[in-house]
Amino acid sequence: MTENSKTNKLASRRGFLKTAGLGSIGGVAAASLGTAASAQSGEPIVIGGPIQMTGGGAADGIEFKQGLEMAAEEINAAGGILGRPVKIVVADTESGGDDKITSAGQRLIDRDGASALITGYNFGSQVALQNVAADASVIYMHADTARAHTSLVGGDPEKYWSSFMYCPSEVFYGFAYLNFIKNLEETGQFTGANKKIALVTGPIQYSINIANSIKEEAAKYGYEISLYETVEAPTNDWGPTLAKIREDEPGFIVITHFFPGDQAQFMKQFLTNPTNSLVYLQYGASLAAFRDIAEEASEDVLYATNIGVLSGDVGTDFTARYLAKYGEKASANGGAQTYEALHMFAQAAAMAGGVGEAYDDVQNKKIADRLRTMIYRGPTGTIRFNPETQQAYSYPVETNDPSLGMSHIFSQIEKKEENGKIISPTPYGVTEFRTPKWIKS
Amino acid sequence: MDAILQIVITGLTLGSMYALGSVGLALTYGTMGMFNMAHGVFMTFGAYASYTAATLWGVPLPFAILLGVMAGGFIGASMHLFIVRFMLHREDFQTTIMVATAGVAILFQDLILKQFGAYPFKQPAQIEGLYRIGNTVVTYQSLAIMATAAVLISAMAWLLTKTRFGLAIRATAMNQDAAKLMGVKTELTYLQVMIIAGTLAAAAGILISSLASLSPAMGTNPLIRAFVICVVAGLGSVTGAGLAAIALGVMEAAIGYYFGVRYGFPVMLGLVILVLIFKPAGLFGKQGVVRA
Repeated sequence: MTENSKTNKLASRRGFLKTAGLGSIGGVAAASLGTAASAQSGEPIVIGGPIQMTGGGAADGIEFKQGLEMAAEEINAAGGILGRPVKIVVADTESGGDDKITSAGQRLIDRDGASALITGYNFGSQVALQNVAADASVIYMHADTARAHTSLVGGDPEKYWSSFMYCPSEVFYGFAYLNFIKNLEETGQFTGANKKIALVTGPIQYSINIANSIKEEAAKYGYEISLYETVEAPTNDWGPTLAKIREDEPGFIVITHFFPGDQAQFMKQFLTNPTNSLVYLQYGASLAAFRDIAEEASEDVLYATNIGVLSGDVGTDFTARYLAKYGEKASANGGAQTYEALHMFAQAAAMAGGVGEAYDDVQNKKIADRLRTMIYRGPTGTIRFNPETQQAYSYPVETNDPSLGMSHIFSQIEKKEENGKIISPTPYGVTEFRTPKWIKS
Repeated sequence: MDAILQIVITGLTLGSMYALGSVGLALTYGTMGMFNMAHGVFMTFGAYASYTAATLWGVPLPFAILLGVMAGGFIGASMHLFIVRFMLHREDFQTTIMVATAGVAILFQDLILKQFGAYPFKQPAQIEGLYRIGNTVVTYQSLAIMATAAVLISAMAWLLTKTRFGLAIRATAMNQDAAKLMGVKTELTYLQVMIIAGTLAAAAGILISSLASLSPAMGTNPLIRAFVICVVAGLGSVTGAGLAAIALGVMEAAIGYYFGVRYGFPVMLGLVILVLIFKPAGLFGKQGVVRA
């Protein structure tokens, strides 16, 4: 809930980021605890990636797979995990529901011999793979950003000891967004045309939960919800929704339906006759695909993610290496997630004395114990788990120390050719908020 | 007033895309009794072919679009020559062809995925600019979609009603044996129908992707809507499919505005159930015969 002042921000940022970067480099080296020679000779450790390689979530899925592969290469080059190389096997969850997700996870364990499951996010109820992991006693790390994980694991920690969500849940988006716009108005950086928020959500639980958390909290922050609309996926023509927005002009528009193609179409169609509204697009706008499709219409859009690559040495270095490896169209925000999850797992496993096979709950519980207590600094910030819910702490929502929580960053796209620039929170902001060019007054 | 105008514009844009997607489906069902489950992937194929020609090969956009449309015709012809003609005369053709074409759809979708990946590429067939009617905006892209659909569907109707070629198609649809006795080369007619259906599907795919993005699964949603439209119109009724598509597009937009976007498609599905209960042959007449 806290934000440091602007004046402190510039002074402290450089020093902090430098320190954070060194911490991460040390962490990567510690992951191996072996030799390059022994990595070639040990029995491979299979890491299963139940990832959506096709369907609506595939743009991210591709990045998740690449992030895993990049981390595996680095870990193997440094000697593997106690001399054993890491091998990535991916099973497509097809952007499907629990049936697809469960069978992909089970297949990875039973057929491919996966000792752990690591992914970005999947759709479905977002509690499917926790059960697969619990039954097979394998570590499962994901970034579903789901309150469902918090409730499930927090409600039965004995059963779900092996599941870790390495980012905060989606409900924080609601508080953080309201806090963000209120701060913009209070500091005079932006004055909304009015206090109305038009909320547009989608069919996925993640989008609905975020929209609901904004809806429930808006009044406390002095805002009112003037429109609550649910669209389907895909949504190509936004005519009816835009007609409603134009009929009752809101000061703020929030689209929590996060498919990048649909968000791009929204912006293109919105800008044919824009209202004086600050536009915030949940997550999808952070992907290169959004800027590719929206082009100029992507500029000045605001977005947030609570697991995005940060500014500073660690994030910049990762982004440069990632783009060099996978091309300029790649999205470091997606790849970084599984990249750092695998590095964190490797470190925990090395500290625990190795990786157990599936159904080896003794050894794998040792890894879970290490994960529960360690602090890992990767490209997207600090992963530190709440030991009760095994969900990463959020900064600045849950802690005011950026070295102890995953940063909830707000970014704004300046140029269609570039990723958005971080504008909040301290110390990661690299630029100031600018009023979108379509706002006339 | 602005809202009503916006509903009409959105409805006509959606309806035009739905119409192009559904008339090909109606044509193949009406002529051959074949429900083509690969019709959606024909759309995908056309969209990717156009994208490949324009973006990867550097072909000028009008020719790239033409190539995309021709690619649809090519895949339609291929499907007939390699699969459909071997199954046409089986007693259980209507059932087995659905399974076969569903298999083709899965295969082609996977091949496209393998070749292009799942990245949502932008369709280069875009027309910038807009026209204002009062406070309502009509983009040139929407106008182009409506115009393209109107031209292609009108050409289709003219072809079926005013030409010997259309007569041959209608005769084959009514009675294949009688058509043969009258000198109609029915095998060739079927091939021509598949080419036309593929061409229309590809055109629909290019238009749909211009308002969305390219993805290997992009044909799935339009296929479901095309099926709904064909059932409402009466399977096999080409003009009926076109009219039903426009009507359903406007209805979906109106429901989206007055009741919420999420109710648009469920109401369409509800309509299908009502039509099947009270007018099983669809709003435009009998089943099994191609009607202009």
